Amino acid sequence: MTDVQDKPATQVERSAGSVVATLFRFQSVFGLLAVFVAAIIFSPRKDGEILFISADNLANVVRAVSEIGIIAVGMTFVILIGGIDLSVGAVLGLAAVGSAVLMVESDWGFLPSVLLVLVIGLVFGALQGVATAMIGIQSFIVTLAGLQIARGLARIWSGGQGVAISYGDGPNEAPESFAILGERTFGGLVPIPVLIFAVVAIAAVVFLRVSAFSRHLYAVGGNEKAARLSGVPVVRVKIAVFAICGLLAALAGIVHAVQLNQGSPNDGIGYELDAIAAVVIGGTSLMGGRGSVAGTVAGALLLGVLNNILALNNIDSNIQLLIKGLVIVAAAALQRLRPAT
Amino acid sequence: MAEGAGLVRMSGIGKRYGGVRACRDVDFSLGAGEVHALLGENGAGKSTLMRILSGDVTDYDGTIEINGAPVHFGGPTDAQAAGIAMIHQELDLVPGLSVADNIFLGRELRTKLKTVDRRRMEREAGALLERSGVRLDPRRPVGELRVGEQQLVTIAKAISLDARVLVMDEPTSALTTSEVERLFDVIRELRRSGVGIVYISHRMEEIAQVADRATVLRNGRIVTSFDPRRLSTAEVVEAMVGRPVQTMFTTPDADTGDELLRVDNLALKARRPRPGRRDPEGISLTVRSGEIVGLAGLLGAGRTELLETLYGVAPAGTVTGRILLQGKEIRPRRPRQALAHGIGFVPEDRRASGLVLFHSILANTVVSSLPSYGRLGVIARRMERAASVRMADRLRLKFGRLQDDVGTLSGGNQQKVVFGRMLLTEPKLLLLDEPTRGVDVGAKAEIYRLLGELAGQGLGVLLASSELPELIGVCDRVVVLRDGRDVASFSTADSGEGDLLAAAMGEGAVFEEVGGAQ
Repeated sequence: MTDVQDKPATQVERSAGSVVATLFRFQSVFGLLAVFVAAIIFSPRKDGEILFISADNLANVVRAVSEIGIIAVGMTFVILIGGIDLSVGAVLGLAAVGSAVLMVESDWGFLPSVLLVLVIGLVFGALQGVATAMIGIQSFIVTLAGLQIARGLARIWSGGQGVAISYGDGPNEAPESFAILGERTFGGLVPIPVLIFAVVAIAAVVFLRVSAFSRHLYAVGGNEKAARLSGVPVVRVKIAVFAICGLLAALAGIVHAVQLNQGSPNDGIGYELDAIAAVVIGGTSLMGGRGSVAGTVAGALLLGVLNNILALNNIDSNIQLLIKGLVIVAAAALQRLRPAT
Repeated sequence: MAEGAGLVRMSGIGKRYGGVRACRDVDFSLGAGEVHALLGENGAGKSTLMRILSGDVTDYDGTIEINGAPVHFGGPTDAQAAGIAMIHQELDLVPGLSVADNIFLGRELRTKLKTVDRRRMEREAGALLERSGVRLDPRRPVGELRVGEQQLVTIAKAISLDARVLVMDEPTSALTTSEVERLFDVIRELRRSGVGIVYISHRMEEIAQVADRATVLRNGRIVTSFDPRRLSTAEVVEAMVGRPVQTMFTTPDADTGDELLRVDNLALKARRPRPGRRDPEGISLTVRSGEIVGLAGLLGAGRTELLETLYGVAPAGTVTGRILLQGKEIRPRRPRQALAHGIGFVPEDRRASGLVLFHSILANTVVSSLPSYGRLGVIARRMERAASVRMADRLRLKFGRLQDDVGTLSGGNQQKVVFGRMLLTEPKLLLLDEPTRGVDVGAKAEIYRLLGELAGQGLGVLLASSELPELIGVCDRVVVLRDGRDVASFSTADSGEGDLLAAAMGEGAVFEEVGGAQ
C-alpha cells in the first residue's frame, strides 16, 4: 500500500527538567513544609517546649482550617473547569442559619436537618451551574448574584438575627447528637470537623484520580471546545461541579454552626476569598484544566499554619493580612516560573 | 535570481533546546527581490531558523548580517525595525477586534485630535486586503472569520509593514486555490519591488511556481539547495524525509460495500445566522462503507458547515432534509449522540478545537472512549493505557512517554492523536476536516495510508479538503460543494483537478461570493 518505512518510536531526551517539573508540581507541599519549619523555628517556647508543635496547637491549626478547607475542595473543582464560585461564603451562612433554625425553632431531628441543608446547598449550586452552562452567563457573574441571593435568603430565614443553638431534649433545643460534631474529638485528639475535612479531601483526591468524570472535568477546563467535540457532556459536567461546590459549602456551614453553637446570616463573609487563595497557593490554574485537590489542601494548611504562628507571636492581625497577601503573590509568581510545556 | 544583492546572510547558525539540536551550522542567505523557499518536515528546524531571523529567539550560535552589517536582535521589535516581518503559522490576531483594527494594531492611524481615525484605517485596510487577494469587510471582527480568511488578514498586515524581508510560514495552508493564485500575484509584485521573501511550505507545486531557490532542512542541517523548477517532487520529498517515498497516495480501493450514509436535501436554517457561515442549503450525497468520499469547494462553500451539521455541532436552527445512517434516520444534536451512532469527527483546527495541548498524550487519546475502560465510572488505568499504547502503535505515533504533554508532539503527531481518539470510539463513519493541514510530508503519507487501511476495514470516510491533489489521490469519489449546495460529483478514476476546480468555481462570479459582499 505504501512505501513509507516505519520509524521506531523515538525516545525524546529527558533532561534534568523533569526534576524541576516535579518540584513545581508539588510546590504547595514544599511551601507548606517550609512554612512549617519556619513556624517551629519562630515558635514561642514555654519550659523548653515548642508551643507550635504541641498536639493541642496542631489540632487547633487544622480545626481552624477545616471549614475553609472543605469549601476550598469544592472551589478547586470549579476552578479546574475554568470557573469561579463567589457564593460559597454566603451558602455557608445560609447553611449555618438553616441548621440552627431547623433544629432549634422547627424542632427537626438531627438527620433530617442536616440532609435538608445539604440538599439546599446542592440545589443552589446546581442552579448556578445551570445558569452558567445552559444560559452561558460567566460563572463570576452568576455566583456574584448567587452570593447576594444566598445572603438574602439567610437573612429572611433567620429573621436577620443570629440563632443560638442550645442542646437538650426540650422544645427549642437542638439534639445532643448535633453537638458531637463540634465538640467531640476522635481518638481524644482529632476534632470531628478535622475528620470531616480529611474525609472530604481524601474522597475528592480519590475521585479525581479514578473517575471518568474527573477526566471530563479536566478536559472541559483545558479546552472546552475540544472537550465538546470529543463527546464530553460539557453541560452536565459543569452543573455537577457547581452542585458539588454548593454541597461542600453547605457542609462547611453545618460544621461552622456546631463549632460556634449558632447560625448567623453573617457567617462566612469573605470565606470565598480565603478558599480561592488556598486553591491558588495550591497551584491550580485559574485558567482551568490544571491543578489538584492535594495542592489545595496543602495551600489551606499553609495559610492555617501561617495564621497560627503569627497569632502565637502576638503579631498584629493587620500585619497578618499583609503577610498573607504577600504569600499569595509569591505562590502565583512561582507558578509563572513553571517550565513551559 | 537576484544574486549579489545580499540582503540577509546567516552563517553557522546553531540552536539547542535542552538535548535537542534544532539547528546546527546552518548557512542561509536571501537576496533582494528573491523568493527563497525553505522546506523540511515538521521539526526540521525551519521555524527555529526563522524565529532567530525575526528576533524571536535571541540566544543562538553564528552570525546574521543584514545588507552586509552584522546584527544581533534583542527581540522582534529590533527585527521589525530592521525591516524583517514574519507571518506566523499560529495566527497572532485579536479575535474581538475588527480586521482593520488588527492590521493597524499598535500603530493606529490618528486624526488631528489624536483620536483613532477609524474611517481611514478601514479604507486603507480594505485597499490592503484587496491587494492581497481578498474582498473582506474591514469592519468585521476577526473572530468571525474562518481560518483561511484570518490567514489573509495576517498577510495583509505583514505587507502593510513595508518590510524588506518577509517570512511566510505556510501562508497558504488554509487558502483555496484561487486565493493562492492571488497571493502569488502579490508575492511577484513584492519581488519586483525588491522585497526578499522566505517562503516556508509543505506544498511542492507552490514552491515550483513561486520560488527562485529552495533549501531543504533535515534534523537541523541543510541537506540540499536547488532550483525548484528542476528537481522533481519525488526527489525533493526524498531529500526532506531522508528515504524514498514512491507514492504519496494509496491507490483508491474500488471495493466498496453497502450504503452507509445518505444525506438527502439537507439544509439548515440557523436561528441566528452568522456572517461568513454557509450552512447547508440542500445537500445530497452518499457514502458507502469502505468508501472515501471527498468534499471539494472554495472557501465558504459550506464544507465545514456540512460536517458540523452531520456531527451535531452546527448552530441551533431548523434542519430540513434527512440524514440516514445505514438506512435509519438520525439527527444528532450534539457530538455525544453522533458518536453513539458511530460517527467520528476530526476538526479543522487541532490546536483550538482538537486537543488540550497541556494535557498528556494519554488523556487526549482516551477522552472520547472513557466509559469503556472500567465500570461504574471508575477508570481502570491499565485498560486505558493499553488502549492508548495500541493506538499509538497503529498510528506509528512518535512520542517520548504517554504522560508527556500532547503539545510537545509535532503537528503531524498531534493530528494522529486526534485520529486515535476517534478510532477508539470504533466509528462506522469518519468525518475529516482538512486532516493534513500543517502536517509534514511524512505524516501526511502515514495519514493517507491509515485512511486506506480504515476504508479497507469497511469504514466510510467523508473528507473535506482544500488540496485538490489530496482529494484526487485519496478519495474514490469527490462531491463538489458551492454556496451550500452539492453541484457535482466525480469519480477520481476518470477526472482531474481541473474538473473539480471548474465545478467549484462555477460561473466566474464566485470570487465575489467568497469574499462576501460589503
